[in-house]
Amino acid sequence: MNAANAAPGPALGDSIIFFVIAAWVTIFAIVTITRRNPVSAVMSLVATFFGLAALYASLSAHFLAVIQVLVYAGAIMVLFIFVVMILNREEVAPLALRPMRLLGVAAAVYLLFVFADVVSVGTPTGAVPAVVPETYGTVASIGDILFREFLYPFEAISLLLLVAIVGGVVVSRSHQKEVAANRAADYRKQFQELASHDSPGEPEPPAAAAGGHH
Amino acid sequence: MPTAYYLILSFVLFLIGTAGVLLRRNALIVLMGIELQLNGGNLALLAFSRQLNDQKGHVFAFLVIALAAAEAAVGLAILVGLFRSRQTINLDEATLMKR
Repeated sequence: MNAANAAPGPALGDSIIFFVIAAWVTIFAIVTITRRNPVSAVMSLVATFFGLAALYASLSAHFLAVIQVLVYAGAIMVLFIFVVMILNREEVAPLALRPMRLLGVAAAVYLLFVFADVVSVGTPTGAVPAVVPETYGTVASIGDILFREFLYPFEAISLLLLVAIVGGVVVSRSHQKEVAANRAADYRKQFQELASHDSPGEPEPPAAAAGGHH
Repeated sequence: MPTAYYLILSFVLFLIGTAGVLLRRNALIVLMGIELQLNGGNLALLAFSRQLNDQKGHVFAFLVIALAAAEAAVGLAILVGLFRSRQTINLDEATLMKR
């Protein structure tokens, strides 16, 4: 709306929208990692992802914005919510108050300097190009690149997803049936031993029980 | 908007995610911190992609999102397995491989 007043730089409306969304994303990200209750942490993470989708759209990445909402705010967050419901536990000590924490703070400060260096040196100066091609960020053009230049990475990532599905099922599979089957086999063996030790008149019950089962 | 603003925001997101991974002991929150880190990286990829007018960054971001989905699935499955065997999701108590 105020684009007419602000001549060369980014339009004032764009700036305001960017800073509002940036503040939104930052605040909800901080809320995510500081909540004691996992449900409110997951909800703030969803808010963060919606803000990020808006930022992606402001970078003309329309396809990625839609994928962000569908995959992150949809699928991954539903997974998180389900696990939170399964493991509904109150946290006893939310923070790691240890001497090792000093090392973590030192690592974070080091990371801060490294990143500040990268941002100050490696950043292309000036504003982002105001005009991009009409097809920039659309499904058609990204699909074109994905299936022409990046076909093998695409196939590799599909294989990775398959392995992740199988791995997830195997890791979280319930072992209760196996345990119950082993226990039943032990009982049966013990019972048969007891029966063979006792008088010869006794072995009828297991045979009858076995016959009844089959 | 200047690209540097997007990069600073992505850097802030990555730092918040790192703080969550390093400082929290709840395994669920640690996984959420990893998601925040991956999203910070994605934002930087898309900002550079826009600046250089090159859509390969979008493909990388797409692959990162698929990777994040796989990571969340396997990580949460491990979490459920840990909870089954240990009755806790506190990472300080997950010391099975520690002597």
